[in-house]
Amino acid sequence: MEFKHRQLDNGLTIVGEINGDAQSAAVGFFVRTGSRDETPQISGVSHFLEHMLFKGTETLSPLEVNEAFDRLGAKFNAFTSEENTVYYAAVLPEYLEAVADLWAQLMRPTLRQDDFDMEKQVILEEIAMYLDMPDFLVFDRGRELFFEGHPCGNSVLGTVDSITGLTAEQMRAYFNKRYAPNNMTLACCGNFDFDRLCQLVQRQCGAWTRQETSRLTPPCCGAIQKVYEQKTGLNRRHLAMYSDSVSMQDDRWYAAKLLSVILGDHSGSRYFWSLVDPAIADTAFMELAAMDATGAFCSYVCCDPENAAQVEDILNTLFATVASNGIEPAELEAARNKVLSSVALKSEQPMGRLINLGFNWVYRQEYFAVEQDIARLRAVTLEDVHSVLKAFNPADYTLYSLGPSR
Amino acid sequence: MTKLDFYQLENGLTLVGERMEYVQSASFHLLTPGGAAWLPNGCCGAAAVLADWLFRGAGSRNSRQLIDALDSLGIHHNTTVNADHLTLNAAMEAGNLAAAINLFADILLTPRLEPDQFELSRKLAIQELQGLDDDPRGKVMLMLYEQYYPDPYGRPGLGKEAELEALTAAQGAQIAAQLADPSRMIFSIAGRYDFDAVCRLVETRFGACGKRATTALEPTPKPRSYVHHPNEGAQVHIGLMTEIPPISAGAYYQTMAAVSVLSGSMSSRLFTEVREKRGLCYAVGAKYHTLKDYAGVSCYAGTTPDKAQQTLDVTWEQFQRLKDGVTEDELQRAKVGLKSSLIMQSESSVARSAGIAGDFFLLGRVRPLEEIRDAIEGLTTGSVGNFLQRHPFETFTAVTIGPKEIRV
Repeated sequence: MEFKHRQLDNGLTIVGEINGDAQSAAVGFFVRTGSRDETPQISGVSHFLEHMLFKGTETLSPLEVNEAFDRLGAKFNAFTSEENTVYYAAVLPEYLEAVADLWAQLMRPTLRQDDFDMEKQVILEEIAMYLDMPDFLVFDRGRELFFEGHPCGNSVLGTVDSITGLTAEQMRAYFNKRYAPNNMTLACCGNFDFDRLCQLVQRQCGAWTRQETSRLTPPCCGAIQKVYEQKTGLNRRHLAMYSDSVSMQDDRWYAAKLLSVILGDHSGSRYFWSLVDPAIADTAFMELAAMDATGAFCSYVCCDPENAAQVEDILNTLFATVASNGIEPAELEAARNKVLSSVALKSEQPMGRLINLGFNWVYRQEYFAVEQDIARLRAVTLEDVHSVLKAFNPADYTLYSLGPSR
Repeated sequence: MTKLDFYQLENGLTLVGERMEYVQSASFHLLTPGGAAWLPNGCCGAAAVLADWLFRGAGSRNSRQLIDALDSLGIHHNTTVNADHLTLNAAMEAGNLAAAINLFADILLTPRLEPDQFELSRKLAIQELQGLDDDPRGKVMLMLYEQYYPDPYGRPGLGKEAELEALTAAQGAQIAAQLADPSRMIFSIAGRYDFDAVCRLVETRFGACGKRATTALEPTPKPRSYVHHPNEGAQVHIGLMTEIPPISAGAYYQTMAAVSVLSGSMSSRLFTEVREKRGLCYAVGAKYHTLKDYAGVSCYAGTTPDKAQQTLDVTWEQFQRLKDGVTEDELQRAKVGLKSSLIMQSESSVARSAGIAGDFFLLGRVRPLEEIRDAIEGLTTGSVGNFLQRHPFETFTAVTIGPKEIRV
């Protein structure tokens, strides 16, 4: 593996991890924009805009865009989070430049009114789809409660009202401000020629103009509150918990990641033995959601409605025990081995490497080879994990709990 | 060329392998005859219980020691249940392969199966089943398979609540004892491994297993029908399924090309007509679902109640239009897409060990990747068109969950 990077004069950064043995290649545009960069009036615009990028340019119709991707056999998609919008594709090596060229064209979309109106219907359907997914709903609402007033609590999807009221002009204004080359990174992994890729990007993107882009990163410790709600038709109780954690820029990320696995991995964790093994809950896990200058541990539990109070008691005891007694060396080793083998398995495919490569650059302007990732995981000590536990006590959590109406 | 390995133990247990040069991992799938269709009547869901119960202690290890042993080796594992098999999968750094095989041999051959642990596994299975009510999208597809396939092939792996409630530890243990039937097990492996060493180890651990008695299934066909389940959700979740020959019928590549034109990607007919041109859905898609002797093309679409009827009508129209064939351009896109999926799959040990196990069960042999690639390249609009003319989509089974019923 070889790492290369280059920056165009307009600020667009290109990072590449070249592996001549790979059977495929993956490429993605990482735009540093998401729901945290929105105002309430345009809530959901980042995600809607992500959809609109597939609607084409002055010279490409929506159908032509889809056909162009499919002619390259591309496995492609995009996603929007609170702070990133990422467009990616995996292809056979011979199509890498063609697919990168296509993405580069699409990054300057036309945003036609009739396409906007049609896609609005699709976005409203997507919002309706998530209304039927309580496991998604509790995360969304839990995040909003935890980040109370902080931009990271903004909804990625927006609401029916905000999407209905959104205009194409508002979207164009947002696009002009956020899709500046200096706010974007192009990442590429696998079997490809870096210099040729750079020439192509220079040709396609070199004329884009640099803009002043900024993001508000107010401090956030997170609220601590508990909200219980009911919804007709539900069968189970769904709980989402958020507590403070490290940011993406924090060197304690690896220790925090291992702590989340020790406490809340799907199997063999503290959550597993206290909730799932005794069949008090059928699902319980914790994940680390590190973000730009802030972060959270977020947990999800699904249980019988009558077990919900017991689940909370157990978790409170669990957090108190961990805070006073710490964790065992064997727990750290098991968590480390699980994460190490995830890293190895995911890295087998260029597509599995792409997101890691892109985000490391977006957040830290750093490159970590798989070996460096592994070395950093291996270097985490029990003291490191205990120090994260002390700095970010998961007992101080916000809870959003949604269950059936009685 | 793909490096395929094959070995059969004297007791009939088959090992198939595919060596991969550029990975550091190994993955194996252990297919056992505990699929939902093969469970005794009245025990629907027993395999879901076993998927958990088997891991609650095996050999010299109790539940915690077993999970700790798997975790300390960094083994990623999961257990799935489909119509034919209860399948155990493990993926790990290649150096831990022998230890992983030994642990899984313990799990399958000497599980502790303690009755108090059975109760917990059963409770979890019931909870998981009840959780389906909060996932109408997942539920509609399970109900669709049950409605579509001849019984018992459509029986849900997650089970039925009344049968799970009545299931006993003794029944569970009896079913567990049938799993290690060498004549019906398949051990597949992909990634970095030494095949001789794997064969020796599997022989040592599984060589003494004997064949279990099996009763052949007598499938009962289901008439094509429509069932609606009212709920108060935001969307109507539509599942429909229609007939197509199974993979063993010899038209796999024509089927894959046709389904790809229908729903392979964003320029496919369903995505274009339902989502792009009409904005009816966010999620719409069809896929080929094949068992050994039965198959179908299943389709999901989720939409708000007022658009549900039009969604079904436009969707079904795309199925019916296929009898008129596919265009050269559509076929080219389908071929590139299929080849690209194939090559990307060849980079992942987990995907390959699943793929070769499936091939061996469904076809009785493993197709080298080159053979699949050549067959895809050999497709023509004529061969796909002929196939679609011979197998037009005329009737379907449908299930909907949501606040509004539709006309079919």
